[in-house]
Formats: sequence, C-alpha cells, structure tokens
Amino acid sequence: MAKGMHHSEQNEEHGIDLAPMLDFVLNLLIFFIITTSFIKETGVTVTRPTAVTAEQRERGNLHIAVRENGDIWMDRKQISLRGLRSAIERLHIERPDDTVVIIGDAMAPAGVVAQVMDEVKKGGIKDMALAAAPPSA
Amino acid sequence: MALKRHTVHESESSHGIDLAPMLDFVLNLLIFFIIIAVFVKESGLVVSRPTGGPPPPNAEQSLAVQVLENGEVWVEGRVVDPRAVRANVERQFAVSPKSGVLVLADKMAPTGLVVQVVDEIHLGGVYNITFATAE
Repeated sequence: MAKGMHHSEQNEEHGIDLAPMLDFVLNLLIFFIITTSFIKETGVTVTRPTAVTAEQRERGNLHIAVRENGDIWMDRKQISLRGLRSAIERLHIERPDDTVVIIGDAMAPAGVVAQVMDEVKKGGIKDMALAAAPPSA
Repeated sequence: MALKRHTVHESESSHGIDLAPMLDFVLNLLIFFIIIAVFVKESGLVVSRPTGGPPPPNAEQSLAVQVLENGEVWVEGRVVDPRAVRANVERQFAVSPKSGVLVLADKMAPTGLVVQVVDEIHLGGVYNITFATAE
C-alpha cells in the first residue's frame, strides 16, 4: 500500500503537466485557422510597378498576373482571355467574397490589363485593384 | 490518509480522458495551418473601368491624361513629365473638386507608366480615376 502511494507520487513529480501547453497550442491553432485566407497565387514572377499611394488589399486573394509579353496567369496556370471570364465566374460562385488583384508587369501592355479588368468585371467580381508595390519594398 | 489518496488517484486515472491522441491531432492541424498560412498581402491601386452607354453629365469636366506607347504623357494637349501630372491634377482639383480623371492609355503603353500616372493622380488628391485604353 505504502509502495503504491510512493509510485503515484513519483508519477506526479516526473510527468509534465500538458494542460497549459495544450491551451497554448489550441490558441495558436485557432489563430492560424482564422488568418488563413487561401490566396490563389499566380505562379509567375512579375516585376510590380511601384506607387506611393498603394494601399493594402486585405481581402485581395485572387491574383491575376499579366506578364511582359501579355500572357495571363491565374492559379498557377496560364489562361486565355476567353477562359478568364468563365474561371472568374466559377470562382465567384464558390467564394463570393473574393476580390481580385491584377498584377501587371511594369512593361506589360496596358491594353491587356484593361481587357483583363473587363473580363473580371463581366465574370461578376466588381472589386479589383491594380497591384503596385510600395517604393520601399 | 494513505487509503484516501489511493482512491483519489485511482478514480482520476479511470475517469480522466487520455489527452495524448488529441494532442497529436491538434499539433498536426497546427503544423498544417502554419504551412498553409500566407502572410503576403498584395497592395494595389483601385481604378474603375468605363461602362458602356452615354457618358455621365459631368464627363466634360474631367481631366484626361493620355499615356502613349512611347512613354509620353499628355495632359490637355501638352507633353508633360510623369511627375508633373500631380501639379496638373491639383490645379484641376482646385477648380472642380468633384471631377474625376480619365487615364487614356495606348494599348501597348507600359503598365508601369500607367500605374505611375495613377499614383501621381492620387497624390494630386483625386481618387475617382477611370482607366480606358485607345488604339
């Protein structure tokens, strides 16, 4: 009997109390779940133009890149101007809160960027912005 | 004393839930979300596109800034430096604060220059910018 008591005492001393760690880990988990926004990236590297007045787009999680040669990239795939509209329509139905950021290369033709903006608008997403990096970055 | 302790200990071990599998699972979830999390936020400029149909009644008040293929910027029939767009916009803004600015870019004009011009217009105090392209 006395031996058993001694055993349980030892257990208490040596075992780590997991409860505070578990609380902390759960908090971290909830933080990451909330902050995750599942951004659809473009998959290509684009030289962003710089602008002083560029503002952060908090919900801009659908990125469309227009490359120097006029190619359009979305969701790690190249896409035609014709296919863009249906893709946007589909994504808009899936997640109506998404807004678009069009990342035009500094040397991309403005005509293609304008056409992309039109297609996005026809696809149902009205809230869009032209990407520009702050000058310091 | 000893008996009491013993019973408390026994009831704890039989009633308490084993946290280890849950902890493993939660840690896995945590690692998944840490890997997935992207903290990159794009920053950008908001411009609107012209809509079809007749122009609004205040259309003639707006200032037009042309961006040409060769990198020239025209305001009211004059070639200006991209950095001087701000001054022109400020003057226009002072005359009629409600008017917007139309950025008319050539189809092949570089986007970087268009963004620079839009930035200058923002600095000049006008945020109502319409972006149109011309042949």
